[in-house]
Amino acid sequence: MLTRRDLLKSTSSGVGYLAFAALAHEQALAESKAGGPLAPKKPHFKPRAKRVIFLSMRGAPSHVDTFDYKPQLAKDNGKAGRSGRGRKLLGSPWEFSQHGKSGLWISELLPEIASHADELCLLKGMHTDLPNHPQAQTIMHTGNSQFVRPSIGAWTLYGLGTNNADLPGFVALGAPPGSANHFGSAFLPAIYQGARFGSDARGLGGRFSRRDAQPKIPNIANPKLDRNLQRVQLDFVQRLNKTKLEREKFAPGVEGVIESLELGFRMQDTLPELMDTSGESRKTLELYGIGAGGNDTFGRQCLLARRFAEAGVRFIELSHGNWDHHRNMATDLPARCGEIDKPISGLLTDLKERGMLEDTLVVWAGEFGRTPHGQGGDGRDHNNKGYTTWMAGGGVKGGFEYGASDEHGYEAVDGRMHIHDWHATILHLLGLDHEKLTYRHAGRDFRLTDVHGNVAREILS
Amino acid sequence: MKLPLIIILSGVATLVLAQAADEGLPSGDELKFFESKIRPVLVESCYQCHSTDEKIRGGLNLDTREGIRHGGDSGPAVTPGDLKNSLLWTAINWAESDYEMPPKRKLPASVIADFRQWIEMGAPDPRVADKVIVKTDIDIEAGKQFWSFKKPASQQPPAVKDRQWPVSDVDRFVLAKLEASGLDPAPDAQPGTLLRRLYFDLTGLPPSIEDLERYAKAWKKDPDKAYEAEVDRLLSSERYGERWGRHWLDVARYAESTGKEVNMAFPQAWRYRDYVINSFNADKPYDEFIREQIAGDLLPIKDDNDWQENLIATGFLAIGPKGLNERSPRQFAYDLADEQVDTTTQAILGLTVSCARCHDHKSDPIPTADYYSLAGIFLSTKTYFGTVNVIQNRRGTKLLELPVPDRNPVSSLSMREQEILQKRMVDSENRFSQLEVEAAQDRAAGRSTNAGQQLQRLRSVISQINARLKGFDEDGNAKTFAMGVQDQSRPFEPTVLLRGEIEKPAQKVERGFPRVLCDEPVALPENSSGRLELARWLASRENPLTARVMVNRIWGKLFGSSIVTSENNFGSTGKAPSHPELLDYLAVKFMDKNWSIKSLLRQLVLTRTYRMSSEFHSAAFKKDPENSLQWRHTPKKIDAEALRDSMLLASGKLDLQRPVGSEIARRGDGRLGVPRSPRGASAENGELNYRSVYLPAARDNLPEALALFDPADPNLVTGKREETNVPDQALYLMNNPFVIQQAEAMARRLMTEADTHRERFSKAFLLCYARPATNEEIEATKAFMQNFLIAAGTDSQNRDKVNNLAFVSFCQSLLISAEFRYLN
Repeated sequence: MLTRRDLLKSTSSGVGYLAFAALAHEQALAESKAGGPLAPKKPHFKPRAKRVIFLSMRGAPSHVDTFDYKPQLAKDNGKAGRSGRGRKLLGSPWEFSQHGKSGLWISELLPEIASHADELCLLKGMHTDLPNHPQAQTIMHTGNSQFVRPSIGAWTLYGLGTNNADLPGFVALGAPPGSANHFGSAFLPAIYQGARFGSDARGLGGRFSRRDAQPKIPNIANPKLDRNLQRVQLDFVQRLNKTKLEREKFAPGVEGVIESLELGFRMQDTLPELMDTSGESRKTLELYGIGAGGNDTFGRQCLLARRFAEAGVRFIELSHGNWDHHRNMATDLPARCGEIDKPISGLLTDLKERGMLEDTLVVWAGEFGRTPHGQGGDGRDHNNKGYTTWMAGGGVKGGFEYGASDEHGYEAVDGRMHIHDWHATILHLLGLDHEKLTYRHAGRDFRLTDVHGNVAREILS
Repeated sequence: MKLPLIIILSGVATLVLAQAADEGLPSGDELKFFESKIRPVLVESCYQCHSTDEKIRGGLNLDTREGIRHGGDSGPAVTPGDLKNSLLWTAINWAESDYEMPPKRKLPASVIADFRQWIEMGAPDPRVADKVIVKTDIDIEAGKQFWSFKKPASQQPPAVKDRQWPVSDVDRFVLAKLEASGLDPAPDAQPGTLLRRLYFDLTGLPPSIEDLERYAKAWKKDPDKAYEAEVDRLLSSERYGERWGRHWLDVARYAESTGKEVNMAFPQAWRYRDYVINSFNADKPYDEFIREQIAGDLLPIKDDNDWQENLIATGFLAIGPKGLNERSPRQFAYDLADEQVDTTTQAILGLTVSCARCHDHKSDPIPTADYYSLAGIFLSTKTYFGTVNVIQNRRGTKLLELPVPDRNPVSSLSMREQEILQKRMVDSENRFSQLEVEAAQDRAAGRSTNAGQQLQRLRSVISQINARLKGFDEDGNAKTFAMGVQDQSRPFEPTVLLRGEIEKPAQKVERGFPRVLCDEPVALPENSSGRLELARWLASRENPLTARVMVNRIWGKLFGSSIVTSENNFGSTGKAPSHPELLDYLAVKFMDKNWSIKSLLRQLVLTRTYRMSSEFHSAAFKKDPENSLQWRHTPKKIDAEALRDSMLLASGKLDLQRPVGSEIARRGDGRLGVPRSPRGASAENGELNYRSVYLPAARDNLPEALALFDPADPNLVTGKREETNVPDQALYLMNNPFVIQQAEAMARRLMTEADTHRERFSKAFLLCYARPATNEEIEATKAFMQNFLIAAGTDSQNRDKVNNLAFVSFCQSLLISAEFRYLN
């Protein structure tokens, strides 16, 4: 019998495997679980990380007030900045100090994360193409801001499959509305797109704002049919769907329906268990700052990220918003930092204690950084030429910093890392060669990194 | 002509006009006065918080003449010769409790007297900063050469080899490209497939069994005539406006609440929704439709009904998302104008002019100065969006009162209710005064209390009662209000803002339109906003973009992908058109036919291109996987509204009556509940069976039935909607009570409408797929029924129950299957 991979090898158009497999449902189930598009696949070489937890800070946090210590900026406070007229340098109003054995400099805004300094690999030479949020967000997620392309999570899932076919292999928690293409699969099969949970615009919304440990998951069980009868029903639905697919030969949308129904069916059993955090100890909850007011929402997301990671989900993305501090930075930046500090620190501790940090790559990033000069006295403007992100765990050097921006933090000058390099490095850590991870579409092979990308070997542990 | 009455619901958003700053330098005496009496005090007592080198609290910069006169968030600090309009004077006198400056110690009386004298003598001030001028490197004349900035030209259809295939000029444009690429058009679609496609595309609903029968009969006589008759029938149906009106509502980011931090209801927004639907049903010419939405309040009118409609149309400018907890009125005014610029230019021009707010547009020839010219028109406009004044809502406004009362008001207020409210009002006001006294006493005695919080809460209660009472006259008849706009009493004189910062005004600019789109520079009247001129210019043949952008949107809805796939971006970062000549041809035809959308749709659905089959062809796919050349009809997924509506149609429960107002209107003013509003939930429980376009549309709180299936996000101008296939949709379809209820109703319906199971099965397929079941499908259905009974382990007692459950499950299966959700 042909598997999807065989077909992908033998046909250039990526015609779906289902079209060729008029299978009885047991076989279909077995195939979709075992040999289907979500089945675990061999990486190109030995991976350093098995999964990714991506902490996406939407709105672009200021690097010079968090992870990029700039003493010269403080000294030159009030002097004219290099971008010309009227733009005065603004030294960080917050103190930096050295942490851990490595002595990384981190701002006082993030004391808990700073306590993990020896796990962090600061990437201080980041730069990206455009200083506009939508484009920068899109390129950070898909490597291209102009065309609709698969997201890094979808590429990862396509490259590696997942270890738990009963859950989506790519999960996005707390994603804002209107961001579907950040989690999309574009021309890759629909099953690789991210499943979004706990975002306001969708039906599973509001889940994380609840205090209770057993959140009600909408539509998780059928009120009339038991699982056995529902399987009989679903077999019938899938028979209709497959007939349609056979008739039409190529229908990615129909394939998407078929696969999402199967996955949805299986999630009825797996998701409630996964979302039920009532079995977590008090100590664990405290670790994430859950029950401590403002941190609850993000704390719960971080805890769920660990649970999804444990359950075998390949790529988990958490969104945290409102980092766009053009104004009111003095109050808003500390507030945002306060929301993430304890939860992220808790996540790192928890992963480490469970022995998972060594094969989980944790990535923290905004879509760009902010200007060393002030804006309106209490804010900073967009800066795409230089900023800082960090990684921890799975295969990166801890207590390490790579790259640097200039003395004020305007531009990456050393160890420069473009988004393509950053993508190439993440894929490398997962055991994937970014030049070999291709998908044929419209007559040519596409890559996450297009024709760019260099792996930053210096940061590999 | 009646003018709209304006009632006060809450605080007024005012806009401060910048003072002309061109005047001579102070005389010797004046200078001496300033240097000895005023400057030292400013330096000593004010600069610490209000100067460029320190902080700019409240957006107020007191260290330049320009800064002190421009003022901060609340308005000019000093207006020469005018104490009343000098906030600095109010502040140093400690005249308002939350407005006492300097905050720690009041200035001595003699100093305050100096300031009085200084302001009254005209506030002479030598601190003239170098004039900031924001320059641009953009060459506008060169920019005009870009394809979309040139007017569409008439196009002759190209010659084609296959003369038999085309039935229209559009077909010739399409075929020529196909032939050039060595591709053949797909064969014609099956009549039934085509009919289902047409019904969904024009009305958002599938054909009924009667429709199918009528069409089949007519088809036998004359296929083309039969099809044409259906086209005309659908275009004149009320369902058409509900479908195509919804497409415009996507573009117009329609919603019934403010969204953002404090999500306040817009209980009058539904009037705009109905206006849009009615306009589509009446086939209002698109140019007129645009003029009404941008400047309906300024257009000539025949009567009150006309006037009413035009005012409601301007709701387009008022229904956008708003951050009502913004502290600074000036910042809010600029943000509001920016949202209007952004929506207007993306929706109508397919341009992202707002990108030029802080710096020149990065990719299109739109300098920052042009942005402020256009924003100046909206800053000369007052926006009436209502919202009741509660805690955290700092920026509510009045609404427009309409001349014609509603025939069926959304809500009424009996005399009894009115009395109760009035009594509550009096009680609350009394309690308020009492609390104020107590609070003052506590303060004097140095006791700390929560009186402040209590007062705030009470203030919210009072304004909510007030809002409700003001909605009715003394006899309890509902007054009618709408969201919309009016001109300011005098136009705003815009200045460029350096990097978009309100405290950094640079050079003055004239109000105007983006220059790259104009042959001649425009001159706007001095005594009005220029909005009327903007509306006329947007909706004119002179504008290179308006017609193109609209025909492109319409093409996209019918053909699955647009000619310019970046529907809201016709600039240089947008996509090039797949068929540039066709786009121009359609745009010119559209304008020639009086901007009639129905005519354009009719023209397009009658083409052979539209009537192609969606059959897959692997060689063609290899050449053109996106089908941008139209070698087949692109299969389309039905959207959230069509999915819900067609489930309701299949169950026989769809209520085609338009509801009066909306659930949000019935609920009235106030902040939307967190978490999700119970009203949203009731839509799932089968209580609201009307068409989805009428469901409550609160921002960030859409009903689940829509929210899961990629609706337009009303925070953005939406052209093409996103499309996802994710398991939470699957879970909804398998398990949600709404879906199960429709399956049950459909089963009941089929039980009474047909006598045998075999007939019921056939009918179910017809209802859901608009085609007869194949033998194989009937066999599969029978097998399913049997498997279900076996799995249920039926005994004689519950046999009927299980049988029924099996049949319901069968109906649900069709409703959630791929064929129900896709169009071929």
